[in-house]
Amino acid sequence: MIVDLAITLAKVFFILAVTVGFFAPVLTWVERKQSAIMQDRIGANRADIMGFTALGLFHIIADAAKMFFKEDFIPDGANKVLHTLAPVIALVPALLTFAVIPFGGQYNLFGKEVNLVISDLDVGLLFVFAIASLATYGYVVAGWSSNNNWSLLGSMRTASQMVSYEVTLGLTIIGVLMVYGSMQLTQIGAAQENFWHWGFFLQPLGFFMFMTASIAENKRIPFDNPEAESELVAGYFTEYSGLKFGMFFMAEFIEIVTIAAIVTILFFGAWHIPFVTTATLLSIFDFLGTTGSNLVLMFIHVGVFFTKVLIFIFIQMTIRWSLPRFRYDQIMKLGWKILLPLALANIVVTGVVILALS
Amino acid sequence: MAYYVKRNIKMTWWERMYILAILHGMLVTLRHFFGNLFGFIPFLLGQKKHREIFTLYYPEETAKYPIAYRGRPVLALNEDNLPNCVACGLCEIACPAYCIDIIPGENSGKQNKVERYPIAFTIDYAVCIFCGFCEEACPEEAIYMSDNCDISMLDRKKMKYNMEQLLVPVAELKDRMDFCRDMYGKWNY
Repeated sequence: MIVDLAITLAKVFFILAVTVGFFAPVLTWVERKQSAIMQDRIGANRADIMGFTALGLFHIIADAAKMFFKEDFIPDGANKVLHTLAPVIALVPALLTFAVIPFGGQYNLFGKEVNLVISDLDVGLLFVFAIASLATYGYVVAGWSSNNNWSLLGSMRTASQMVSYEVTLGLTIIGVLMVYGSMQLTQIGAAQENFWHWGFFLQPLGFFMFMTASIAENKRIPFDNPEAESELVAGYFTEYSGLKFGMFFMAEFIEIVTIAAIVTILFFGAWHIPFVTTATLLSIFDFLGTTGSNLVLMFIHVGVFFTKVLIFIFIQMTIRWSLPRFRYDQIMKLGWKILLPLALANIVVTGVVILALS
Repeated sequence: MAYYVKRNIKMTWWERMYILAILHGMLVTLRHFFGNLFGFIPFLLGQKKHREIFTLYYPEETAKYPIAYRGRPVLALNEDNLPNCVACGLCEIACPAYCIDIIPGENSGKQNKVERYPIAFTIDYAVCIFCGFCEEACPEEAIYMSDNCDISMLDRKKMKYNMEQLLVPVAELKDRMDFCRDMYGKWNY
């Protein structure tokens, strides 16, 4: 009992350390530095400690310190309670989704079966999307409670964009569910041990649609209409400052990690190395005993999983700095007229192929 | 009711696929990214530098301004360590912002070769608009626009430069002098 609790706490601590402690701050640096190098600039490199700049990594500390000490401003006529609550509503779902995301398989450590997921729900995939859509309320409430026209317009756009792309997102994963026959993320991950059974090869169209829809869900360029700087000042978080503004940013960066993790699990073989099965790895490290070989396997799998996550984060960042923003009507057209029929067709084709093969 | 602007853009089938166009766009940015990231490796091996970064570390390094650039006006100090200025007051009159202030003095023989010399010459950079009229008006090649433009201060009074601060050896202004002779047709007779 106590051992189980300790294992769960360790997993929770690990996930929090990786997302909040590592990814969220480092991604702010990555975004600035990557965009700079991409656009033939140098990028942030002025914050220094005793003359050392460490490639601008101290800007993370400087940004955090700045956000802590900034005035926390609530505008006149704003709904104080909701205005304070909105960033929390936006941030908490982003963190919660990690509860069901497996970052490794099952390992036999010290005679105990350890499953590298905090909560192995039967409906893990549904849980992810149910919780992720809750974050929309945070953005809508933020815009509504600010008593600002730009914010309200931004939150209206958020609402309509979320509704449009949630449909595509939901229909896209149905293809994956049909192929793997499970909603449990650990099982979907385990089913992709064979390289040619990766989701990308079984559902190539699904991958592109999922990527598009999830970037739209995250409101990043090219789908950043809710916070379009040139049109709406800053959209729904115009009236936010200090740590509340920071929470919105953190939610966005954690969602990037979430998207990368889910794409990895659904389409790119989760924690598996191409052409190397778990049994092969176990037999290589057999001389270390059951626990030792499992421990090595666990570290390899977690490393592989986060490497894949990093690659998908890099792809998302590249997309964000390569493409221009869609117009509002173009977003709606893409969502309802192109992606939705394609997603439906994808389901039909998947069903026919499965039926033909069985 | 929304209306659509009719544009004569015929997109090919290839472009209307979007995904391929997007991948092509991403390839362009990725090429820049990796070119700039690993551009130092061929440079270390003694080949041409592949980095394309134009940014300068500003206070440490400054860009070379073109010769026509008008920075802060300075006074030319000739080879005899005396200002070229004869305190005629033409620049003072030409100045649209009235930022130049000259107190002329009569020559006692050692100050200058000519009759008059400036006892005090003040330019208030807080008022100066960097138009270059003083340079154009000067008949003695005494005042020039330098390429120096970082003159920000915390105190407005310190923006008033006196003669010692303004004087610059004539050798440093050689290029600008040639440019002005060409430009304003001075000394062409």
